[in-house]
Amino acid sequence: MIGREDTGRPAMRAIAVTKSKILLVLAIIAGGLMYGGSTASAATTTINLCALPGTATLTGAVTVNIWGFGIPTTPGDCSTATASLPGPQLDVTMSATETTTVTFNVTNALPAGHSITFEIPGITFDAGAADVGPGATLTRSFTAPASPPVPPPAPGAANGPGTYLYGSGGDGGRQQAMGLYGALIVRPSTAGRAYESAATAYDVEAPLVLSAVDPDFNNAADPMAFDMHSYRATYWLINGKAYPDTTGITAAAGARVLMRYLNAGYDNTTMMLLGMHEHVVAKDAWPLNNAYDAIADTIPAGATEDAIATVPGGGGPSGSGFPLFNRQLHLTNGDQAGPSPTPSAGGGMLTFVHYP
Amino acid sequence: MARRTVRLGLALALAAGSAVLIPAHANALPAGFPKIGMVCTPGTAAGGTHTFNLTANTGYADTPDGNSVFMWGYANHDAPDNDHFQTPGPVLCVTEGETVVVNLTNTLPEPASIVFPGQTGVTATGSAGLLTAEAPANGGTASYSFTAGHPGTYLYQSGSDQAKQVEMGLYGALIVRPNATTCPPDPQFPDTNCAYGASTRYKSNGEYLLLLAEIDPVLHHAVEIGSGTYDLNARRARYFTVNGRAFPDTLQDNGTDIQPNQPYGALVRLQPNTAANTQPTLIRMINAGLLNHPFHPHGNHTTEIAQDGRVVPRTEHFGETIGSGQTLDYLIRWDDTDQWNPASNPLPVPQPNYRNLTFKDGNTFYSGSPYLGYKGTLPTGTVSQNICGEWYFPWHSHALNEFSNFDEGFGGMATLLRVDPPGGCFGAPTATAIVGGTLKSGSVAALAFDDSSYYQVNPKTTTTTANRTAGQTTLPVASAAGFPASGDYYIRIGSEVLRVTGGQGTTTWTVARGQLGTAAASHPNGSVVTALANDWYATFGLPAGAANLKVTYKGKNCGTTTLTTCTALTANVPQQTVKVCNWTIAGAAGCSSGTSADVSSTWTLPSPQSNYVGTGAYKGQVRVLVDTQRWTGTSPTPFSTWGNFMKIVYDAP
Repeated sequence: MIGREDTGRPAMRAIAVTKSKILLVLAIIAGGLMYGGSTASAATTTINLCALPGTATLTGAVTVNIWGFGIPTTPGDCSTATASLPGPQLDVTMSATETTTVTFNVTNALPAGHSITFEIPGITFDAGAADVGPGATLTRSFTAPASPPVPPPAPGAANGPGTYLYGSGGDGGRQQAMGLYGALIVRPSTAGRAYESAATAYDVEAPLVLSAVDPDFNNAADPMAFDMHSYRATYWLINGKAYPDTTGITAAAGARVLMRYLNAGYDNTTMMLLGMHEHVVAKDAWPLNNAYDAIADTIPAGATEDAIATVPGGGGPSGSGFPLFNRQLHLTNGDQAGPSPTPSAGGGMLTFVHYP
Repeated sequence: MARRTVRLGLALALAAGSAVLIPAHANALPAGFPKIGMVCTPGTAAGGTHTFNLTANTGYADTPDGNSVFMWGYANHDAPDNDHFQTPGPVLCVTEGETVVVNLTNTLPEPASIVFPGQTGVTATGSAGLLTAEAPANGGTASYSFTAGHPGTYLYQSGSDQAKQVEMGLYGALIVRPNATTCPPDPQFPDTNCAYGASTRYKSNGEYLLLLAEIDPVLHHAVEIGSGTYDLNARRARYFTVNGRAFPDTLQDNGTDIQPNQPYGALVRLQPNTAANTQPTLIRMINAGLLNHPFHPHGNHTTEIAQDGRVVPRTEHFGETIGSGQTLDYLIRWDDTDQWNPASNPLPVPQPNYRNLTFKDGNTFYSGSPYLGYKGTLPTGTVSQNICGEWYFPWHSHALNEFSNFDEGFGGMATLLRVDPPGGCFGAPTATAIVGGTLKSGSVAALAFDDSSYYQVNPKTTTTTANRTAGQTTLPVASAAGFPASGDYYIRIGSEVLRVTGGQGTTTWTVARGQLGTAAASHPNGSVVTALANDWYATFGLPAGAANLKVTYKGKNCGTTTLTTCTALTANVPQQTVKVCNWTIAGAAGCSSGTSADVSSTWTLPSPQSNYVGTGAYKGQVRVLVDTQRWTGTSPTPFSTWGNFMKIVYDAP
């Protein structure tokens, strides 16, 4: 799902973004803090979201209630939005020459009594209200710098390109457990790169939002009344789905796959990749000075990580391709009541990189 | 910790007609394995192909609290292990570039397999499986092959029903060693290997594997009885293991018979970095468990050099989380930066009063002395596991619930780093005995340090009890105490040197007159008789199994028998000879076979060294004789023997 469009592209149902271009004449700043000079223009992008109740269907035709983000076709009218798990992927592409101001209008359509916040760890918002009650709209904005291509090593940049987790921090974390999270991808001006540096070029992109669901919590009549000491997740999800419903990552031999891990769950999650190493190039939307190779890297709860793996030829370890799975072995779906894990064919946080 | 478990497997009972009781102890280790450090399972290497034959089977792991946990595991099918159950699985060591073939026979009741994280291009034959080809249940087989393309530390584990099989124990270590191109031999450091390239050199006898895992016995019980609930979502591990053992069993040797199914110890042992010991020790860590473990090595920082089989920029750690399925390699050099020494560099603070301390379980690894290489006193009733004043540092999971056995601390995911004194253990003399001479000053304690306190021995003196002419060969003396009781020895009366040839130990000696170039003369009754030699013993106590014994002695000859400062002798310098006594040769004769030394030297005991370690009433004792003789008597002046420092250095067991 695309949360942003370029001017001139036909509007699609899920897109409710307006963009205008304002030429700003900036005051001359001593020392020249801007790339390329003391004056610049600025692009603006507006993303409209709703936080609203909905449902999600998990493996085994299990339906759970969620609170999720959705993009309203009519900004501010959440009756035109549908909550999804995770929330829609939001994309912002930076300009090579000018700053980009991104504004989020998040309408709270949760049940009465639940204020929401809108948080993107790693993004510094402009000053403004931090939360909003039901029926009202919270507006948050930030400005991404201009993003010229640079030779490696690419420096990190505040509000710069990267993989960000967005969500609501309301109700002491319960809103996130209900499903109010999603991926924000801020792209550098050069297409096909995770960051400005050519060292982060990729051919295939795979955002991987990792999370977990306890249906007992989600289906509770009142999530606020649920005793969190008895919270026990039973579904382990990649992009809201458990194996075998997860979507594979299609990449030909030799292709560079950019895995954008976002840990929206509550525990630190180790993802193991078989048959190849992945090259970890960034954490928390900040390029690493010392990128490294890994086969089982741990993404802390709330953190993001970007890793690029070049798919080898010759096939993967299994007929399904190259397994990518949760090494905490959350490879089950639903309650476990028997003497063996179920489903026996494998489930949970598992997907495959496979050839086309 | 010292339980003996004898368990006859169910399979044995079912072996129809089998009258042969297999010994409960089969340690799943190759012949000649080292007691500590990583042990590889040999497999078969031929023509560039390294083949291992593994069997997935069941067995039990013993825990320090007396539990035994049903496990699944990979066993070595090859002789002499013959499928003896072990946890973790065999350590598969191969060389970069080799073709690795792993054949799996599965005796488990469900399909099993092996995946090799970090290896590319693994081909597998067997029945189709989700992650890789599988060996069908109840005797099925599968085979895996790949080229070990890159040196490193890797995990292997089941790729089938992982949520059960990895928890149950289907995991092990794969070690890919660099080939000679990646790690060219370095003539400067012949006894080294590399973990990766030449910059990752380590002492070849200093390679350790620490494979971490956890066990939730509830899940294992469900599998054992085939019913109940295997709910991984409710998993709560109660045992936390290093190399399949929980602390303190981790400290036991490789192949200890109290851990018949857990062959791999985890004690890490090294000596401080010195000019003669510059190469670091390699610690290969693998987390085969499901949890991430914050592992905390006490002592020096460890240098992380690689992750998941790939070199990373070096970082220093005293704590690092090792993620589930991750491998990390560390080099460690132990630098004794402070060089605390009880004589020359004492600690600036007093030791804690024992009344303020608790020695848990009456058992400690503390030596009683805070100084490396020294032992002190401990409260009565406290048992020390310390051998020679070596230091121990706990290495453990800093998730402290994991530093326990079923929530009882200490235990679990922990081992010790043992730091031996530089060059090995050393001992100071525990007792002295003068056999020829008389104590001038000092005690055995003066020999413990190379300092300004001395153990000083004067030549023994007595007096004649009758007038003697120059020709008489019988010499009556007031006392023989302090003179040798046997063997010829020299004495001096005035300027004449005489040799006692008979009557030793009595007060009537037979003497030869005018020895060593002196002239026989008459001596009145009451003349002072002085021995020309000082002979004294120092005795060391050694632990059983001590090896590679070396004695160091430093002493002085002083031209005074009365002054408290040493008067240097410039002529007719006496010779101090250090002789170590061979207990298999009776009496002083056993000490005469020693090689001489000057007043400062180190002497390696001749082989067999066991002859020099006492038995029976003298168990563990090494006796060193210092013999000082002043041979030239033309201008006799007083002298005394000042012993400064004596130690024995050895490799403790």
